[in-house]
Amino acid sequence: MRFLLTRFAVAVGQLAVVLLAAFGLTALLPGDAAAVIGGERASAEELAVLRDQLGLDRPLPQRFGDWLGALFSGDLGRSLVTGVPVSTELAQRFASTAILTGLAMAVLFPLAAAVGVTSGLREGSRTDRLLSAVTVGLHAIPEFVLGLLVVAAFSVYTGLFPATTVGADGIGLLAQPAVLVLPVTVLLGAQLGDLARQVRIGVAAHSGSPSARHLRLLGLDERTVLLRHVLPNALAPLIQQSARTIEGLFSGALVVETLFSVRGLGTGFIEAVQNRDFPAVQGYVLVFAILIITVNLLGDLLAHRFTPQRERAAC
Amino acid sequence: MLRILLPAIPLVLAVFGPLLPLNAAPEADPLLGPENGHPLGTDALGRDVLALVFSGGTSVAGMTLAALLLAYLLGVPLGLFAASRRRRGTDEAVLRVLDILLAFPGLLVLMVLAAAGHREPATLIVAAAVLQLPAVTRIVRAAALAPGCRTAVEAMYLQGMPWWRIQFGYVARSALGPVATDAGTRLGIVLYLLASANFLGLGLPGSAPDWAVVIERNATALFSQPLAVLVPAALLAMLCVGANLTVDRYLARLR
Repeated sequence: MRFLLTRFAVAVGQLAVVLLAAFGLTALLPGDAAAVIGGERASAEELAVLRDQLGLDRPLPQRFGDWLGALFSGDLGRSLVTGVPVSTELAQRFASTAILTGLAMAVLFPLAAAVGVTSGLREGSRTDRLLSAVTVGLHAIPEFVLGLLVVAAFSVYTGLFPATTVGADGIGLLAQPAVLVLPVTVLLGAQLGDLARQVRIGVAAHSGSPSARHLRLLGLDERTVLLRHVLPNALAPLIQQSARTIEGLFSGALVVETLFSVRGLGTGFIEAVQNRDFPAVQGYVLVFAILIITVNLLGDLLAHRFTPQRERAAC
Repeated sequence: MLRILLPAIPLVLAVFGPLLPLNAAPEADPLLGPENGHPLGTDALGRDVLALVFSGGTSVAGMTLAALLLAYLLGVPLGLFAASRRRRGTDEAVLRVLDILLAFPGLLVLMVLAAAGHREPATLIVAAAVLQLPAVTRIVRAAALAPGCRTAVEAMYLQGMPWWRIQFGYVARSALGPVATDAGTRLGIVLYLLASANFLGLGLPGSAPDWAVVIERNATALFSQPLAVLVPAALLAMLCVGANLTVDRYLARLR
């Protein structure tokens, strides 16, 4: 119970930091936010209008309160570049990112389990060492490097898959599965290693454990021992790793979407940062941060549920 | 042999490359193929790709090293402090505050900094270091708990030895093993973060002779001048994979 309370308190603290940071982005800009947003060519009247729009003449705490109030009623302001409400833009771009990361997850978990079990049951063998070298290598290469190498190999030199997703958008991506192959592969490459390694460690530890040996002596076949007894024990530590993995997929989406010109949350975020489109940046920061805080909170709570006894190091 | 060559080639280029008298200024026509007096051709800005290969590793390697050093410079004292408090409340408070930091992926933080107009290398290094702080502090704290409880420490405390001498002279030395191990894995994490940030345009300016920035500038020319992208990409891949495999092998030997 105490764990639950502190963990929730940390999540609330994280949310507070995010809200303050997102608000501080416009409030604490060096100089005047209106001057930064308006650019060098803005006239004095235009700046005055901007200041009024942004409410820069009011005291800071009041501005924070107003901003929070608008936020809770779903009003994230309008993009400075397109004039479209930020919430509309977020909703439009959500589908592409959800398809990319969702598909990557759907392939990732079974693949990591297969790789982890294969190498965990043959710990120290040639297969084990080869698989671990490959997954460590894929994990180490930053997505943008891996992506370009993959595009060069499968698109430029062999023409097997398209190098960009231009022309397909949101749900339309699903209508052209070929465009998704390379982006999803790159997302997988970076995340497979950590997850497979956790499965491998768990399987290796539990398949040699006294209880597993006892079950084999009782005459249970290897399949039952593996699926019913070894895997469930090996999977508990995996929950927290899965939270990290999902977080990694979101970060990876920033890079992969840029590389393959996907119109998703990642590219939208980067465009907003490059254009210094502050209301949009705030929106993207909030969406990404809340997703990540939630995933981590769920991961920790589930992990705690499945491994209730924790050791505490103290004098 | 491969394990040595993989990280060694990009590292040698990063350390000694800038010493060579090669000109990476934009002087030639953009996107020339090889054999025009440029062995690897030129990039989208008209810079000699070979010169970029020799000068582009220094920034990423240097920034990674600086960020790592700073992370341990801050994290080691903080971890020792948390572990040495007799009251668990202080310890817990330090850890919880850092937990809040732990929530945010590096790229997200660097995006916010870039949006606020902070793209200088120094900001990037400090941010990358602070992002490692929760993990470094946790590991130092965990490693320092057991040696901090030994009777030797009690004796030093009773003799009136100052706090910092006990901690840095005795406890820190016993905690060195796990910290060194952590530094190895963290090298890969920081390298990955800084290279990705430079690629996304969150760090160095677009004209910088940095492998990741060069890749970004020339990514659209992958079909016409692949060398300008693939050579720096291969070098970055070798550096990252090499560093990780070397650390992995070292750790396996420790176990």
